[in-house]
Amino acid sequence: MLEKLRLVWESLPLLLQGAIVTLELTVSLLLVGLVLGVLVALGQVYGPRPLAMLMSAYERFFRAMPILVLLIVVNFGLAFVANTYQWDWLRLPTFAVAVLVFGLHSSAYQSQIFRGAIQAIKPGQLLAARALGMTRLQAIRYITLPQALRLAIPGWSNEYSGVLKDTSFAFAIGVTELARQGWQIATRTREMFLIFITVALIYLVLTYLGTWLLELVERRVSVPGLAGQRREEHGRVI
Amino acid sequence: MRVSVRWAVVVSVLALVLGVGGLVPQAQTQTFRVCSDIAWPPFEWVDAKGEFVGFDLDVMRIIAILKGYKITIQNLGFDSIIPAVQAGQCDIGASGFTITEERKRVVDFSDPYWESNQSVLVRADSGLNIITAFRPGNKIGAQRGTTGAAWVEDNVIKQGIAVELKLYETYPLAEQDLINKQIHAVVEDEPAAKVAVKASKGVLKIAGIIMTEEQFGFLVRKGDPHRLLPRINDGMKEMKKKGIWNNLVEAYFGVDVNLERITQCWADLKGWLDKNQPEAYAENLAACMAGESYKKP
Repeated sequence: MLEKLRLVWESLPLLLQGAIVTLELTVSLLLVGLVLGVLVALGQVYGPRPLAMLMSAYERFFRAMPILVLLIVVNFGLAFVANTYQWDWLRLPTFAVAVLVFGLHSSAYQSQIFRGAIQAIKPGQLLAARALGMTRLQAIRYITLPQALRLAIPGWSNEYSGVLKDTSFAFAIGVTELARQGWQIATRTREMFLIFITVALIYLVLTYLGTWLLELVERRVSVPGLAGQRREEHGRVI
Repeated sequence: MRVSVRWAVVVSVLALVLGVGGLVPQAQTQTFRVCSDIAWPPFEWVDAKGEFVGFDLDVMRIIAILKGYKITIQNLGFDSIIPAVQAGQCDIGASGFTITEERKRVVDFSDPYWESNQSVLVRADSGLNIITAFRPGNKIGAQRGTTGAAWVEDNVIKQGIAVELKLYETYPLAEQDLINKQIHAVVEDEPAAKVAVKASKGVLKIAGIIMTEEQFGFLVRKGDPHRLLPRINDGMKEMKKKGIWNNLVEAYFGVDVNLERITQCWADLKGWLDKNQPEAYAENLAACMAGESYKKP
């Protein structure tokens, strides 16, 4: 028993090293997905018809792709093109390729979180903003987005816990993240069960910490009186 | 104020996004990328301190010293290595690759550096031998994309013996399933099978050896664009002539395959490689692994 605990203890530095890679990848991909996802959602809701259709096609394409297939096609595809045409600038480090692929994939999912949130804002508010003399862009920027982004936080925290675990696919192109570190230690020590229980616990902690942090943000930025924001208010009504 | 804070966030997001893309490695002509699936002791594995160790990797490091170029080692899944070499993402594949006609069509191989046979691993208490292990209906485990898996396909299943071939991500997982009585046998290369038997503390045994006489080679992109194969082949000859080769073989494939011991030996001795003295490194590594006295750099 003591020997097993010691093994877990000795494996922790490497596992935490992997956990840091997992976190770096998760945070970067979420930010890429956030920027693209908001743009796609805005295009879908407010864009002219052709743009809205284009955005929907984008969203459907990336939601249809299994992440592993996308990773392999983009990674080896880019390298192949770089090699064929001698374009050295196209030789991205594997971590960057992973961020790009996961980011595109996540942006498709995130766009739907944001689209739902944007559509939850009553169009009357936009009319009122236009009546006050705001331009279309100003109305979106100062009226819709500030509310919609707040409404999107619960759905977004779901996306966080989803992609956190998806990142374990990144080893297919050579990013040594948490799950792979676990593999490597299990290969050497032959203690599969013990090591993977530890890996599972680390994933649990990462998920818990992330969603807790987002809840904190949600409470911090909540607007008093904005419907559906607070658990307490819901509880009071019913 | 609020607005500027928000824009600061947006700007930093963009900086991060662009910054990640900006980390393009500089093209240095004399650094080559060696790709390996570092999860197959004793050819390559990650030691307790996170260092990449193993026979293949040491050979790569020493040839680089002898031939005056630098290498970086990239850890990549076994299935992905040949596509990565073809795409130019890796310059050399060093992961215990058997030289096969099929692989030769898409990559070029160095001279063979190792001869291996497939061994049949079974549980010691199962009573199975090399014939009964392949009884119809039995489940046989192997790692995806390996010659062990191909052997079962070609010489058992295609010959009409209806065993069930179960493919795994890595061999240690197949061995674990064998210990757990989920499958009847595992077919894998002999040196790795010996490591598995030792690690299982008597639960597993080698039921027999299939003399496939496979030869391992290092592989590069078709056409060898960097002219690496002559350097690798010449480097191996030089290693043999200087006695480095024998010492490495003794260190990694000696009677007592001890994966824990190498962590200590490697930490003590890798300085010899940094000092470009592979002879001293190999000699002391063999001594250290054999439990004899050795000299630190």
